[in-house]
Amino acid sequence: MRRLLVLPTSRAGWRLLIAFVALVAAGTWPVIGLVNRTTLVMGLPLMVVWSYLVIFACVVVMLIGNHIVERDDHE
Amino acid sequence: MSSPWPLLITLTYVAVAMVIGLRARAGRSMNSLEEWGVAGRSMGPVTLYLLIAAGSVSAYTFMGAPGWAYSKGVAVFYVAIYLAYLALVAWYFGPKVWQFGEQFGHVTQASAIADRYQSPTLGALAALVMAIGSVAYAVLQTIGSAYILFVMSGGVIPIWLGVFLVLGCIAVYLYASGQRAIGRTNAFQGVLMLIVAWAVGLWAVQSATGGLSFAGVFERIQADHGEFLTLPGAGGDMSFSFWTTSIIVSMFSFMPPVWTQWMSASSARTIRRSATWLPTYYVVILPMVVVGFIGIFSLPELARADTVALEYAMQHLPVVLVGLLGAGTLAASMSSSEPFIHSISLSLSKDVLQPVLKLSDGVTGKLARLLILPVMFLVVAPLAIAEPGSLVMILLVGLGFASQVLPAFIGMFFWPRASRLGVMAGIVAGFLVTVVFTTLWPHPLGIHAGFWGLMINLPIFIAVSLITPATNAEVVERFFRISAPRGLSYIGQQIEQVKTPTSR
Repeated sequence: MRRLLVLPTSRAGWRLLIAFVALVAAGTWPVIGLVNRTTLVMGLPLMVVWSYLVIFACVVVMLIGNHIVERDDHE
Repeated sequence: MSSPWPLLITLTYVAVAMVIGLRARAGRSMNSLEEWGVAGRSMGPVTLYLLIAAGSVSAYTFMGAPGWAYSKGVAVFYVAIYLAYLALVAWYFGPKVWQFGEQFGHVTQASAIADRYQSPTLGALAALVMAIGSVAYAVLQTIGSAYILFVMSGGVIPIWLGVFLVLGCIAVYLYASGQRAIGRTNAFQGVLMLIVAWAVGLWAVQSATGGLSFAGVFERIQADHGEFLTLPGAGGDMSFSFWTTSIIVSMFSFMPPVWTQWMSASSARTIRRSATWLPTYYVVILPMVVVGFIGIFSLPELARADTVALEYAMQHLPVVLVGLLGAGTLAASMSSSEPFIHSISLSLSKDVLQPVLKLSDGVTGKLARLLILPVMFLVVAPLAIAEPGSLVMILLVGLGFASQVLPAFIGMFFWPRASRLGVMAGIVAGFLVTVVFTTLWPHPLGIHAGFWGLMINLPIFIAVSLITPATNAEVVERFFRISAPRGLSYIGQQIEQVKTPTSR
């Protein structure tokens, strides 16, 4: 027990971990640098649109996560 | 302000919040920590969603966020992003924390830490230092509440009276109904804030551009003040590194009230369901931020940026909306301060006074309720009335510390080998670095002080853990049956299965 780590134990778990990391990457540097422009999209600044895309992507990933957790019957 | 309506609407909100808070008790005895502290672990997904959402959306959304938009621009959206990431944190850790509470009887964050590391001293240390940040946060929110009453009454209710009015109101329903009052009032406040933010935002856009589309506002900003639409913002101080490290540090600041909120859920599944939809609530920030952007060209000479929404409302919006904005801002500050006051009392009684004075659970439960009174009226009220200039600094240091407790959680959720001394060494080293890089040499190289703290904290935590005795194996196994129900692994290789019944 002494040197072990908690890591995903299934393919779906690893995919979920990668999705979580990708979400955090999407809202931070260097990705945020790519949308750092004065452009407007649908009347809103690109940074604002991107921020809300990341925010709603979090909901989508957690919905998928709920499906996996409930399908596999584990926490 | 000559019209009585804004004050009447704001006071009506206070009265409704009090009635809701008092009725939340519904005849239950509130003398046990389980009931007063975590609402008997009974909250459903909708209440929990609004409890966490309203608790995280403080007066900052109605005053600070428009002020940031007014003075810096889109840099303000780092808040919306980290709040969404906090939902990811709640989704993963919340159900496990709930199971710890349900199976081991924890009602506070510090009691979980004390149990995992078999160290009441570490639990008490965590409770005391977290209390510093929590007090500073509650004081800031109380100042915001009193300021709103001062403005809405046209100066008739002075700041000191506003402080006592707001704290007195919270004290009554918090003493009577505990976490149930926080749940019900936050649900009401959460809905009110959402309606008020969008009503004020859309009305402001209509008055500024003649239409309801935000495009008119941003096209004007793009043409005349493009620097507000990108980082590092108009102030030039929100670099990519500060944006990124601020988000990461905020994400890993496991504040005690959030922990208590997770433990108040009716099941682990309830937390996951609430956390999943939590980011949708943060659309509440957008319209208020747009009011801040309108202020850039409508109120160019404003002395205090964080008054931009109120100033704009008083000059351009009908009195009913001004009153609703007052009620919404008051709701935001009250819904954020009451969980912190509750959690300070709960943790001081459970994690500090109970082990020191060897109190029974029954006495500790009664003491937790009574402690809100000295916390509010001997600590929060004097500080809020004095408005010490260093308060924001205390808050920054406090929040910086909150992230330094991260090793305690790594040892609870990911790494069984983490030891008590490793956690203590990491926390102390990280805290000192955070204090120095907040006060003496603020945020070197544009990197958040808390992030510097973590860069020192984590290696020390690992090194000291590896050379000091681990926690009793039975205790570690008890925790990791919940943290790792499918077993523990070396990277890519599953080597140990721990069977445990799942709890939903």
